[in-house]
Amino acid sequence: MELNDKIEKVLEKVQKAPRYTGGEMNTVVKAWDECPLHFGFCFPDTYEVGMSHLGMKILYGLINQESWSLCERFFMPWTDMIALMKEEELPLLSMESRRPLSDFDVIGFTLQYEMSFTNILAMMKMGGVPLESRERSEKDPIVVAGGPCAFNPEPLADFIDAFMIGDGEDVMTELNRVILERKEKCMSREECLKNLAKLEGVYVPMLYEVSYHKDGTVAAVTPNCAEAPATVRKRVVVDLNNTYYPTEIPVPYTEIVFDRIMLEIMRGCTRGCRFCQAGILYRPVRERSLEKLINLAEKLQSATGYEEISLSSLSSGDYSCLPELIRELMKKLKEKRVSISLPSLRIDSVLKESLEETQQVKKTSLTFAPEAGTQRMRDVINKGVTEEDLLEKVRDAFEGGWSSVKLYFMSGLPTETDEDLDGIADLARKVVAEYFNVPKPQRAKGLRVTVSVSVFVPKPFTPFQWAAQDTVEENLRKQEHLKQVLNIKGVTFHWHEPYVSFLEACFARGDRRMGRVLRTAYEKGCILDGWNETFRYDLWMEAFQECGLDPAFYANRERPMDEVLPWDHIDCGVTKAFFRQEKEKSERAEVTKDCRKGCNGCGLQRWKGVCAYANAGSV
Amino acid sequence: MRMLAVFEKGERIRHIGHLDIQRSVQRGLRRSGLPVAYSNGFNPHILVTFASALSTGACGRREIMDVTMAAEVSEAEFLEKMNRAMPHEMQLSETRIVDQKHPALMASLRAAQYDLLIRDTEQAEKLTAAISGMMARESVYAMRKTKTAMKECDIKPLIYELTAEGQHIIATLVLTEREACKPGMLLDALAREAGVEEEVRTLITRTGLYGMNEAGELIPLELL
Repeated sequence: MELNDKIEKVLEKVQKAPRYTGGEMNTVVKAWDECPLHFGFCFPDTYEVGMSHLGMKILYGLINQESWSLCERFFMPWTDMIALMKEEELPLLSMESRRPLSDFDVIGFTLQYEMSFTNILAMMKMGGVPLESRERSEKDPIVVAGGPCAFNPEPLADFIDAFMIGDGEDVMTELNRVILERKEKCMSREECLKNLAKLEGVYVPMLYEVSYHKDGTVAAVTPNCAEAPATVRKRVVVDLNNTYYPTEIPVPYTEIVFDRIMLEIMRGCTRGCRFCQAGILYRPVRERSLEKLINLAEKLQSATGYEEISLSSLSSGDYSCLPELIRELMKKLKEKRVSISLPSLRIDSVLKESLEETQQVKKTSLTFAPEAGTQRMRDVINKGVTEEDLLEKVRDAFEGGWSSVKLYFMSGLPTETDEDLDGIADLARKVVAEYFNVPKPQRAKGLRVTVSVSVFVPKPFTPFQWAAQDTVEENLRKQEHLKQVLNIKGVTFHWHEPYVSFLEACFARGDRRMGRVLRTAYEKGCILDGWNETFRYDLWMEAFQECGLDPAFYANRERPMDEVLPWDHIDCGVTKAFFRQEKEKSERAEVTKDCRKGCNGCGLQRWKGVCAYANAGSV
Repeated sequence: MRMLAVFEKGERIRHIGHLDIQRSVQRGLRRSGLPVAYSNGFNPHILVTFASALSTGACGRREIMDVTMAAEVSEAEFLEKMNRAMPHEMQLSETRIVDQKHPALMASLRAAQYDLLIRDTEQAEKLTAAISGMMARESVYAMRKTKTAMKECDIKPLIYELTAEGQHIIATLVLTEREACKPGMLLDALAREAGVEEEVRTLITRTGLYGMNEAGELIPLELL
């Protein structure tokens, strides 16, 4: 009762209370005592961001589906809520049964982007869970994490007991079983962690020692016990059609970032863009069947009542029967007044026919991602798209009645010169010209071309994993340059903060020592770093200094090819040899074909029956 | 045909604003599979209106929605299908079919009854004790928030009934399209009367919405 009163008090004062209240449609509140295993799913960002995330919906449904486990949600509170909770001495509570994080047997963080890392520490602190693995006692929860940032787990190695690498659907249940067994048999924490390490795709950092050279580079990462494998191989769910997909997904009361049905039509991408980490991590490409997708879409619609559905994947345009899928979905969902949007549209894969069909229900702005401004640069990054392709698709869109186009680019790519930046402006100008080429009565009013330029962050498990990131100063200079050349009528220019990208680069390719920086920065007050209003670059720089580490060592240094990389003990399916080969090709601006046109031998062919396009003969 | 349905806005979701409640009802109707009518136009939406917007922070025991149907459906079927489609905190309790010509709920609304739970026992005692004194006055002044400023106004003519039960104050107050006495205004006046200066923490529940019959009696709006 006292707890409820405190909660009420806080909710009366806090801004945006609905993000903390819970009770949403389709959320699951299981009887606590009837479920032996309690999983606390933590999204280390605000409710509106977390509730938009597909992976959480999958695992939430999956864990709750098992009779023996329950899953409750936790989100990062906003600063005003943190202050109020402190005042009332309230711990971080779950959305469902309002229990503190420390009550759960296992808590799991999803690692979607580096700038959410301080939130992980903040959530554990508020939830009464000791921050570091070595500080946790037998009664504390097992802390696990997964998601794309788990592929380089080292910066979080001090804080996470076990990482799940790769697709989560299968390993999640296996991991929960091991933790349930611990609970039933009163197994020690250490023994439990060793058992977890035996699961394929699970990395328990405590069971590995890291040694360094004098210059600060990693000498080796070696297991310190028999249970820990020398290399942890990522998990792959081979058959998506027979893999769990949630249909009764929670529907928030309040608006969230992606307030619609997300239908994952496929996983993975065969394009091989050299800057793209997701394109590697989610390999191989796997599609859900047309029948399965139609069935899921109908169930999702009737379970949620959403007005909009988006087809989600890294490259929806590559889905093998996209026009049929869209046609079928339209037929089934039209009477339910559901509109269909294609978010990650790739410019060389949209069919005019399907464009016209989408428009039939609702017209939104179209997004294209040429990524770079010149053909040479696009060849370097293996973005197999030509200017002609782009302009043709834009023309189709303008003729089809669209007037709003978003163009995504990156700056700071390896080998980039100012000419490549000028190419962005040239391309934007040509897009504008295409609009005016459409006869006035035929085109929609109000041309809007938005050019977004983000700062390139070299990521592990890409051919650019050895590359130096441009310094903050150089990025600022490039931004000024772009501002000048992009002063074009009808064009709006958006730019991402280079300071955040710089830190992202440090964590993306950081080693275990970055954990010190993270903890120091958190203790100095850094939280919610993904938000402009709370990001404190100055405190981060202080933290580096106090830890005796140089951020430039991680971000701006070109790494020699023979250096041991902090993530070399993780096997993402694609081999280092393939990345090396791709890096060399990029230096010659030489492109690599789409896997669908023939196996490139990325490494997945080593794993039998995993990749549909693999040629066992390739090296 | 139109369906009037009485529904609840539960305590847990009392901080959800009216727009979000509207959207939740729309989505509930879409989930229910009931034959609801849509508006014409570019972004068609379900033809559903509400008797009155309920403030953020207040619970509602008998809120009323008014749904235009595209086909005949029984009151029982509507109730059953909607209750399966709505979250636990927004369940329906009654339904009534009315014809297309039935006046709009908003236009017929005359009053609302509120249950104001005073959280602090001492404050509750002081406030309930002040009721009779306040009601004996000819005029009762309270601060009303307008778009630009705070305005003082006489709420005495806006109070139909004011009683107390333990820590609860039960108030029936004027609520029409043109004028209203909000529970906050009443509490403000009562606190002044009782000499309570510190902030009064309350749990506000709107327990009913009323129209008026020809005899000038307040009648539950859904029955009018």
